[in-house]
Amino acid sequence: MQQDPSSLDQLEQRLGANWSNLREAKRLALEKQAQLREALVEFQSEDASIVVFGSLSREEFTEHSDLDWTLLIDGAADPQHVPLARKIKAAIKPIQGKEPGREGTFGTMAFSHELVHQIGGQNDTNKNTTLRLLLLLESCCVSRDEAYRRVIRNVLIRYLFEDRGLWSQSKHRVPRFLQNDFARYWRTIAVDFAFKQRDRGGEGWAIRNMKLRISRKLIYVSGLLGCFRCHLDFTPANWAALSTSKDREQLLVDYLGKVFEATPLEILSEMLLRFPHLAPASRVILDAYDGFVGVLADGDKRERLEQLTEDEANSDEVYQTTRRLSHAFRDGLLGLFFDQESGLDDLTKNYGVF
Amino acid sequence: MRPIGFSTGALAYADFRQGLILARSAGCTIVELSALREPELAPMLDALDDLDLGGFRYVSIHAPSKIEPENEALVAERLRRLLTRGWPIVVHPDAIRDFSLWREFGALLCIENMDKRKPIGRTAKELGLIFDQLPEASLCFDIGHARQVDTTMTEAYLILKEFGGRLGQVHISEVSTSSRHNPLSYASMMAFQEVAHRIPGSAPIILETPAADEVAMRGEIAKAREALPVEGDLAAQHGRPGLSPVRAV
Repeated sequence: MQQDPSSLDQLEQRLGANWSNLREAKRLALEKQAQLREALVEFQSEDASIVVFGSLSREEFTEHSDLDWTLLIDGAADPQHVPLARKIKAAIKPIQGKEPGREGTFGTMAFSHELVHQIGGQNDTNKNTTLRLLLLLESCCVSRDEAYRRVIRNVLIRYLFEDRGLWSQSKHRVPRFLQNDFARYWRTIAVDFAFKQRDRGGEGWAIRNMKLRISRKLIYVSGLLGCFRCHLDFTPANWAALSTSKDREQLLVDYLGKVFEATPLEILSEMLLRFPHLAPASRVILDAYDGFVGVLADGDKRERLEQLTEDEANSDEVYQTTRRLSHAFRDGLLGLFFDQESGLDDLTKNYGVF
Repeated sequence: MRPIGFSTGALAYADFRQGLILARSAGCTIVELSALREPELAPMLDALDDLDLGGFRYVSIHAPSKIEPENEALVAERLRRLLTRGWPIVVHPDAIRDFSLWREFGALLCIENMDKRKPIGRTAKELGLIFDQLPEASLCFDIGHARQVDTTMTEAYLILKEFGGRLGQVHISEVSTSSRHNPLSYASMMAFQEVAHRIPGSAPIILETPAADEVAMRGEIAKAREALPVEGDLAAQHGRPGLSPVRAV
């Protein structure tokens, strides 16, 4: 059965563009995901899902990408989970290129209790916030997905049904509790960039900087747009009907769950497709993103960015080229988010600014 | 008011007579006669003619949860003799191997959705496969099983959305992670309220919660009423339905 073309494919066709780097990255990601599913089949369980994050789940994988994964447990605690996580690590090792990041967020176990219950407050650690929001924004399950789906639904239930403003008859229908956490996470990544710069003495500075400006920014963009879709996709009458429906919890969680099932690039492309007058901005944004993925896919360029020091950056061609891509990406996004004709400027001012 | 009663098996282990006495003592007018283990079935069926069921306006039978394959035809034959009584017969889908033995039970065959230990019949999708084989069968919706399978209550919602038209009766209890039927807790009651509006007020509600005496039984009945409020009673409930879309936190 032939699949419908993705929003990204449709946009590429409409704009007459050629985003070959993105297409190749998606092909590699799907191939790697399939490889993982096959390798991990013996570790399947209804109460624990194996979840991957980062470029692999965003379908922007390159041969040099690292492979971030976690064993997500939603069930009774079991001493066997530790050896299970070790076995998964061993099974993934021959497939992965690089080890998961050194922060210890990935490559181990995570429990649903913290993810669902600790939203905000002292116990919502950096690691917990990261896992929870990445589950929503850039994750993909490579095993049985019952636990994965339950956790995502329960997290969404908290964000949507503890948000009084969402259900009052306000002008906008944007889940502010959820959007605020996306914004908090985005700012946390930006602050942690400065922390890592100090902590690691500048090691890996340039590639982290570019990822922050482009791929990390993209996941915030997709979170923001996902929240805006509640406003754009529901008319006031539809929203009123939903808020009085006894099935509202299932219906809204199902709706938003499906929105965030899409990759960040798909969420962005879907929004850009809605507004043909934004074709110039669309072209700028995705040309820049395609160029960025092309840099990451090029072993020499990536290596250069990984080794570059701050002092060398001003005169480095690879860095300067990538930096210009990041500026184009930013400018295109500003064009999208502050566009008046689509009404996105109003939502951006109300939710993205104050 | 919802009709709420007990499964005799929840009240007295393998002793339907004692279970019946206890159910009556708590003022129940509906009851499920339980023969959860195969050896319990024949004595219970043999006793039915002499059993005092006065005061009960709804009676159902719970067939053994596990039926040895070589006995399936015999068990089905024994239960088939009950059809003239018009009592629903609750059967676990994983106990059935030969669907042809059960088709003629029609709507009196009440297929129960399963807990997570079972390989089939747990979700709406899995139940669909069973109902494909037994197109006339009704549904015994075990809301505790549905919550154990999916704490978000999505499967409960999907089962009722898909098969609500077949709903014959409801089983209610809190089902633990080790699949034990326990008394209703506040958390399970709140969860059950999510889908209560999809259960008609006339549907018989059978408690599978253990209850040692009449006080405990009446307590469980009151909790079941709160967990499954019906239209009109909502204002009296502390839960969310009909009041506010925002969760009580």
